[in-house]
Amino acid sequence: MDYVLLAAVALGAAALGIPFFQLYRARGPLPGYLLAVALVAAIILVALNTLSPQPVPEFGTLLTSDALGGLFALVTLSVTLAITVFSLPTISSRANGPLYYSLLAFSALGMLFLSYAADLLILFVAWELMSLPTYALAGFDKSRQESNEASAKYAILGALSSAIILYAISLSYGLAGSTQISTVVKAFAAQSTDPLSMIAILLFIVGFGFKMSIVPFHMWVPDAYEGAPITISTLFAAATKKAGFVAAIRVVLIASTVYTVTQGSVFTIPNIFAVLALLTMTLGNLAALTQKSMTRLLAYSSIAQAGYILIGFVIFSYAQSNPAYAVDGTLGLTGALFHIINHSVMVTAAFLSVGLVLVALKRADLGAFEGLAKRAPIASFTLSVSLLALAGVPPLNGFWSKLLLILSVVNGPYAWLAVAAVLNSAFSVAYYIWIIKRMYMDEPENRERINEPLTYILIFAVLTALIIGLGLFPQIGINFAQSAVP
Amino acid sequence: MTPFLSLLVLIPLAGSPLSYLLLKRDRASGIAATLAIALVTLGLAVYTFWNVYANVPEMGQYALVGSYQWVGTPNFTVNLLFGVDGLSSPLVLATAALTVFAIIGSRRLITQGSPPYFALLLLFEGAIMGVFTSLNLVVFYVFWELVMIPMFFLIGVWGGDRRRYAAMKFMIFIFVGSTIMLLAFLAAYLDVSPFSFDITSFASNGVPAIPDGLQYFPFFASIIGFAVKLPMVPFHSWLPDAYTQAPAPVAVLLAGVQSAMGGYGIIRISIGLFPYAAHEWAWLFLVLGIVTMFYGAVVALLAKELKRMFAYTSLNHMGFVMFGAFATVISANALGMEGAIFQMFVHAFTAGMLFMIAGYIQHQAGTTEISKLKGLQNVMPRTAGLLVAASAAAMALPPFASFLAELTVIAGGIAVTPYTAVTVLVPVLTGGYLLWMIRRVVLTPAPEHFEVRDMPLVDAAALAMYLVPLIILLIFSFLIFTPAAPVAQWAIHLTGGA
Repeated sequence: MDYVLLAAVALGAAALGIPFFQLYRARGPLPGYLLAVALVAAIILVALNTLSPQPVPEFGTLLTSDALGGLFALVTLSVTLAITVFSLPTISSRANGPLYYSLLAFSALGMLFLSYAADLLILFVAWELMSLPTYALAGFDKSRQESNEASAKYAILGALSSAIILYAISLSYGLAGSTQISTVVKAFAAQSTDPLSMIAILLFIVGFGFKMSIVPFHMWVPDAYEGAPITISTLFAAATKKAGFVAAIRVVLIASTVYTVTQGSVFTIPNIFAVLALLTMTLGNLAALTQKSMTRLLAYSSIAQAGYILIGFVIFSYAQSNPAYAVDGTLGLTGALFHIINHSVMVTAAFLSVGLVLVALKRADLGAFEGLAKRAPIASFTLSVSLLALAGVPPLNGFWSKLLLILSVVNGPYAWLAVAAVLNSAFSVAYYIWIIKRMYMDEPENRERINEPLTYILIFAVLTALIIGLGLFPQIGINFAQSAVP
Repeated sequence: MTPFLSLLVLIPLAGSPLSYLLLKRDRASGIAATLAIALVTLGLAVYTFWNVYANVPEMGQYALVGSYQWVGTPNFTVNLLFGVDGLSSPLVLATAALTVFAIIGSRRLITQGSPPYFALLLLFEGAIMGVFTSLNLVVFYVFWELVMIPMFFLIGVWGGDRRRYAAMKFMIFIFVGSTIMLLAFLAAYLDVSPFSFDITSFASNGVPAIPDGLQYFPFFASIIGFAVKLPMVPFHSWLPDAYTQAPAPVAVLLAGVQSAMGGYGIIRISIGLFPYAAHEWAWLFLVLGIVTMFYGAVVALLAKELKRMFAYTSLNHMGFVMFGAFATVISANALGMEGAIFQMFVHAFTAGMLFMIAGYIQHQAGTTEISKLKGLQNVMPRTAGLLVAASAAAMALPPFASFLAELTVIAGGIAVTPYTAVTVLVPVLTGGYLLWMIRRVVLTPAPEHFEVRDMPLVDAAALAMYLVPLIILLIFSFLIFTPAAPVAQWAIHLTGGA
C-alpha cells in the first residue's frame, strides 16, 4: 500500500471537507475532532511507511519516501495534532472555527509533501501550500491589531522568500536542465566553479533561511510570534520552521556535498553555515535576555536554537569535501535531526503552557508569570521542564542533542563553534532560570486558581513525558535521527 | 560487574516521585516513607563503605564496578560506568547519613509545601550519589547538573527572606562553573585516544593518557568548576548567601555534602586526569587553599550572625581539602591527600550539625543574631549543650576525629615545606571565635524577657547522632585511612612522584 499518499488523502479530505461546516454555520468541536482523526490517521500511515519504506510510483520522481521525510513528516504532523487538540476549547466556540481547522489541514498537507519532496517543483508547490494558509492563520484574531500586523509582516516577507526560492529554482533549472533534486545536485557538482551555481545555492539558503529563522533573515519572527494566535506561533516555531530545515537538507546540504567554489577558498558552504550559526545563536540569546514579553522571549530563544541546529549543517557539509570527517559529519547531522525533534517537543510544550496563561489572563508579559506555580501548577511545571530542556540541562532531551552537535565539531577546524555553543548555552540559562524563578519563588498578584482543562493537561503530560523520556533514553531518538541521515 | 551502585542512585531517584505522591495524601506517613527510602539508601551506603574497606581496591582500581551502555553511536559512546574507591566510599556514606539527618530535621522545621520539598531532597540525594559513583565524564556531568536543580528550588522556595537573591546567585555561579568544566571534559575527550569519556581510560596502564602539554587547559577549566563548588577563594561569594538563606536541613546538605563534590572532583578529575598540569601548578592551589583557610577563619571571626559564622567555618574547613590534596601532589607524601579525604568526611558531620543547630535556634528563638541570643545555657540547655559539642568538633578538639583530620593535613603540608606550619593558626583561630561565640551566646545570663522553648528531646537525640561517627573515627581512623591510602598513592604515582 502507498502509505504516504493515503496520509495525503486523509489530510486533503479533512482540508476540503471541514469548510462545509462553515457553510451550515455549525459551531462546536466536531471539525476539530475530524481534523484530529485525520491527523492521527496520517501519523500512523507515515509511521508505518517509515518502518518499512514504500516507493511512491504514482508520482514518478516527484516524491521519495525515505526516512528523512518520515522524520520530518512525523514531527510536523504531531505538532499540528497537538495544536489541533489544544485549540479545541478556544476555537470551537468561534463562528469561523471550521475555517481555522481547514487552513491548519492545508498547511499540514503542505508540510507532508515538503518532507517527501524529491523535485524542486513539488518542493515549491508544497512550500506555498504550507505557507499560504499560515498567512491567514497569523491574522486569525482579526479584531486584534497585533495579529493583523503579524500577518502582514509575515506575508510580505514570506512572499519575498518564496520569490527568492523560485528564482533559485529557475537558476538551477538553467544549470541542470531538470528540476529533479538529484540531477540538480550532480549539475552543481559538475559546474562547481560556475558563479551561477554558487548564486543559486546562496539564494536557496536565503529563501529557506526565512522559515528556518536564522539571522539575518529573522526579522519577522518576534513580531509574528507575538502577534499571531499562540497556537499559530507554536506552529511556526515547531512545525513550519522544521519544514524549512528539511528543504535546506534536501537541497543545500546535499548540494554542498559535492560543491566548493574553488579549492582553498574561504567562501565555502560550511564556512557560510558556520558564520550563520554563530550569528544566529549569539544574537538570539542576547536578544532573548532583554525581552519583556514571554512570546517574544520564546521567539528569540527559538532563533537561538536554530543556530545550534546549523552546527550540524556545518560539519556535515564540511565532511563531504573532507572524507576524514565523515563520522563527525554523520554525528553532526544526527545531532541536528535529533535537536529538530527535541526542539519541536520542547517549544510546543513551552508555547502551549504560555498559551494557557494567555487564554486565562489575556496577557503574557513576564509579570503574568509571577507566582504562577501557585495558580497553575501543571502549566508551570510543564513550562519549567521545557525551559530547562531548552537550556540544555541534563538529563532532559535537549542536553543530548546539543551534546551531539557540540561533539561533532569539537574535533577539527570548527572547534571554536563548539566553544561558542557551550558559552551560549550557559548564557541562555540565565533567562530561562529567571522565568522559573518568577513562577516558583515570586508572589502572585492574586492567588486565584487558573482553570487547567483536562485536554490541556493531557497534552502537557504527553510533552513532559517525551522531554524526560527522551532525556533518560536518548538512544531511541538518536537511532531514529541516525536512520534518517541521507 | 554488579548493578549494586546503580541501586544507590536509583532508589532515591525513583523514591522521589513516590515520596511526593505519599506526602500529598498524608504528611506523617509520607515523611515516614521518605525516611524509609533514605534509610534503605543508608544501608546500601554502609555496605558500599564496608565493601571498599574490606577489599581495598588497588591504586587506580575500583570496587563494585558496573557498566551499561547508555548512548552508542560511532565516535560517541556514553557508558553508565559506576565504581567506588577509598575516595568516594566515605562520601557516599556521609551523603546517605546526612540525608537521613536532614529528613529528620525537616520534619519539624519545614511546615509548608512539604510534598515537593521531600521529593527534592531525595532527588538531590540520588543525583549526588551519581556524582560520587559514576566513572564516566558525561554521566558525572549529568549528575553534577542534576544536583543543582533541586538545590535551586530548595533554597529559592523554602529559604529565608533573601532566598530569591541567594538562589539566583547560587545558580549562576554554579552553572557558569559547570559550563567551564564541560569544556574541560570535551577537551579531555579529544585528547585521549581512542576518544573516550570513561575516567578509567585516562590512565589505563598507569601512564596518563593525555600528553603533558595538552593538560593545562582541561586542568584549569575543570578546577574552576570544582573550586566554585568547594568553594575556594576567590569563587566563594555565593556561599554566605546560599548557606544562610537555605532552610537549615538544606544548609546541612549544602555545607556537608555539596561542598565535598568540589573536593572529590579536584582529586578524582583535576589531579587524576591531568596530573602533569596539576603538578606544575600545585603551588598556586596550595597557596589558594591556605588563603581560603585563613580567609574563612578571619571572616567568621567578624560574623555577627550564627549561620554566617558557620558558613565561613565551612569555607575554612574546605580550604584544608584543597591544601591537603595539593600538598601530596607537590611532596609525594600521602598524608596530605589522606587527610583531605578524612577532612571531607568529618566536615560533613561537623558543618551539618552546626547548621542544624542554627536552624533549631532560628525556629525556637526566632533569630540567629549573636547579639540577640543570650543565656542559652539556661533557656535552651539541650541546644546549648549540643552547640558546645558541635563547636568543639568544629574547632578540632581531640575527642572528635576532626582533630585527626586537620592534624594529618597540616602534617602533610609540613612535608612540602615547614613554612606551611603557619596553618596551625587556623584551628587556633577557629577555636578562638567559636569559644568567643559560646561565651556570648551560651555562657551569658539570660535576659528577663527572653522566653523561648528548648528543642524537643527526640530532636536533640537525633542531633547527637552527628557526633557518633566523629567519635568512632577518632579511635578507628583506619576505616578511612586504609582505603584512602591507594587513592593518595595513585595520585603520587600519576604526578610523577616516588
